[in-house]
Amino acid sequence: MKTKPLSQDPGSKRYAYRVNKEENRKELKHVKIDETTLPKKSNGKKSSLMELPKKRFYRQRAHSNPFSDHQLEYPKSPSDMDWSRLYPYYKDESTGKMTNKVTIADIGCGFGGLLIDLSPKFPQDLILGMEIRVQVTNYVEDRIIALRNNNVTKQGYQNINVLRGNAMKFLPNFFEKGQLNKMFFCFPDPHFKQRKHKARIVTTTLLSEYAYVLKEGEGVVYTITDVEDLHLWMVKHLEAHPLFERLDEEWEKNDECVQIMRNATEEGKKVERKKGAKYIACFRRISNPEIII
Amino acid sequence: MSIIHPFQSSVSTNDGTLVFTVVKNTILAFRCNPGSWNYSLAGSWVDTLDRTNLIKEKVIKEQQRQLAENAAAAATKKSKSTDGEPVVRSVAKVPTPGTGAPPIYSIVRNLLLSRDNKMLFACADSDKSILVLKIDTNNKENCLTLVKRQPYPKRPNAIATTEDNEKVIMVDKFGDAFEMIINEEPKDKINEFEPILGHVSMLTDVMMKKDPESGKQFIITSDRDEHIKVSHYPQCFIIDKWLFGHEEFVSTLCDFLWDPRLLVSAGGDNYIFLWDWISGKSLFKFDYSELIQPYLTDANLAPARFQNETNDIVEYAVSKVVSFANLPYIAFFVEATKALVILKINKDDYSLSLFQIIELPCNLISLFANTTQDELLITLDNRESSEKDFIKFVAFNPEQNKFVINEDKGKSIDKFITDKLKNNENVTISSKDDVYPLYNIANLKKHGEAFS
Repeated sequence: MKTKPLSQDPGSKRYAYRVNKEENRKELKHVKIDETTLPKKSNGKKSSLMELPKKRFYRQRAHSNPFSDHQLEYPKSPSDMDWSRLYPYYKDESTGKMTNKVTIADIGCGFGGLLIDLSPKFPQDLILGMEIRVQVTNYVEDRIIALRNNNVTKQGYQNINVLRGNAMKFLPNFFEKGQLNKMFFCFPDPHFKQRKHKARIVTTTLLSEYAYVLKEGEGVVYTITDVEDLHLWMVKHLEAHPLFERLDEEWEKNDECVQIMRNATEEGKKVERKKGAKYIACFRRISNPEIII
Repeated sequence: MSIIHPFQSSVSTNDGTLVFTVVKNTILAFRCNPGSWNYSLAGSWVDTLDRTNLIKEKVIKEQQRQLAENAAAAATKKSKSTDGEPVVRSVAKVPTPGTGAPPIYSIVRNLLLSRDNKMLFACADSDKSILVLKIDTNNKENCLTLVKRQPYPKRPNAIATTEDNEKVIMVDKFGDAFEMIINEEPKDKINEFEPILGHVSMLTDVMMKKDPESGKQFIITSDRDEHIKVSHYPQCFIIDKWLFGHEEFVSTLCDFLWDPRLLVSAGGDNYIFLWDWISGKSLFKFDYSELIQPYLTDANLAPARFQNETNDIVEYAVSKVVSFANLPYIAFFVEATKALVILKINKDDYSLSLFQIIELPCNLISLFANTTQDELLITLDNRESSEKDFIKFVAFNPEQNKFVINEDKGKSIDKFITDKLKNNENVTISSKDDVYPLYNIANLKKHGEAFS
């Protein structure tokens, strides 16, 4: 008989950890974390630091098939999406409406390093990470809960959150036409095999969908990878797409997000440790050409 | 004893004189002599493509690739034996379909007439190709000649023609849409074809539309992930909008000659949607779940592996919706039922209401609306009655203010089919269970994977 993975063995540490975190998450995931929600210390004084989640308890296979029918939750349309559950701090209690919109998306956000570094730099933007792997999403959720809690006095990390989802299939369910200013594709799955190329996150046909959710004339696609082949592939497809235009090195040098992207993500740090190369390419979503009749 | 295989689908020319049907891998053309319901065989075409050679070629190619890979691996000393010698594996695996791989039929699907009725398009499962057949009504022997066969890397699922009649647009099961110029020699290197647009989901239907006000052209595609996408054409890379609302896969789209802004869609959920696709508004959502209940049978039970303990999970889906040229009605049927449902469109507020349900003698397999004649062609799973009920014709009777089956016309064609084809091996089967898959829409339902 196959032995059960640790995560499903009720006696294991990992199991206990996950159960504990899940309860915590259920309770706090959609709560507006402010000073009133802080747990009280035994001496009656408020504030205690919440421990950041430990990555080793969230191990999962590194890949997920984007074509399979995962049990996903997604809104029927962008207008059905209740963003206040993810960003309770940005809900206007008097009107019940959101004061800000999601304008930055990190597709395949992994462990969320980029989100956390972007958060303080873009206080006016809501930033959403999308990740297809359940455990990794859970980790990012726990990390954000802890960070919000630990930075409650300065209202830190209220503008970031994560969703478990398949961006290749359901991106238009979340975002309206032209809603996004920036989209990040950091160290995506390279899918080396030729017959798997359609599973890559940058393909000609998918780029049309990214172009749809990006703001015409302004939106930027950021890509970074340590796999040269994939880099060339992404550049080739983005350059061939009539709605994208490559931004030059000068622009890259002056762009804050490029610097953050280069250093923030876990994958980026790993490459740094191994002294690997990092390939960056950024593209602007140009305006639609005149429609041919 | 052999019986004639049920007719998988049928279409008719604008003037109604020619009826084309698919039986197994054969396309048959019947001529209806004007003024009477006497039929004659006008032509036929059989897909005789032998797949064994095709497969052999693929296997050899795959083996060569593996051998080359093995040799390359040996050159870089990646695989070594225990004593450190590089190993060259000289044997390549022969790819064989795994258990559960679907059987491949040489079925013909997706009959479509060109707008001028001079061409017939279809898709062949055997080599995943689009077929172009020329219709020559002067040829008394056989009005059908194959003029082009264009294979594709993935299986075609629906086709449409462009406004200018020059191209066929095909959407496939992998989620890509391709365009094919009709009057061009078939192309090889099919793996290098560039799609004009794509979804990350199986595409189920496609439609070419024009906004009458701006003159802009659009391509509308539907998929297994509830999506209906409206993109510009020919600039398909510019997506105009999505029509959101479906809760399950979309299987069929239908437009209207009398109002080009309207679009109807249906599929695996309980609703028939009426859209204004130009403004993107959902005009009406008709819940058909109650009216279909009396017609559901054991055939509509969910597959065993998705079934519950009491064995009462029912899964059904709309197979096809059609409209009429001048009449404000739509007709549709739910797969594996005997009911043809007709809804009325109220032109004042674009609401849909039940107009009529026609119960047929057996399950419907296909539905086609001849928009010039405002006549419906229905093919039936007539395995039980075997010598009748192949095709039914339904039309609106203004005196009775309802749709009626033209029994005489149906009987006439049934008799002709039985007499003419009983001994034709191409269209007969030896047992009732020996049929090609007739019901495959409800299978598109997603069940979600237990693990993730």
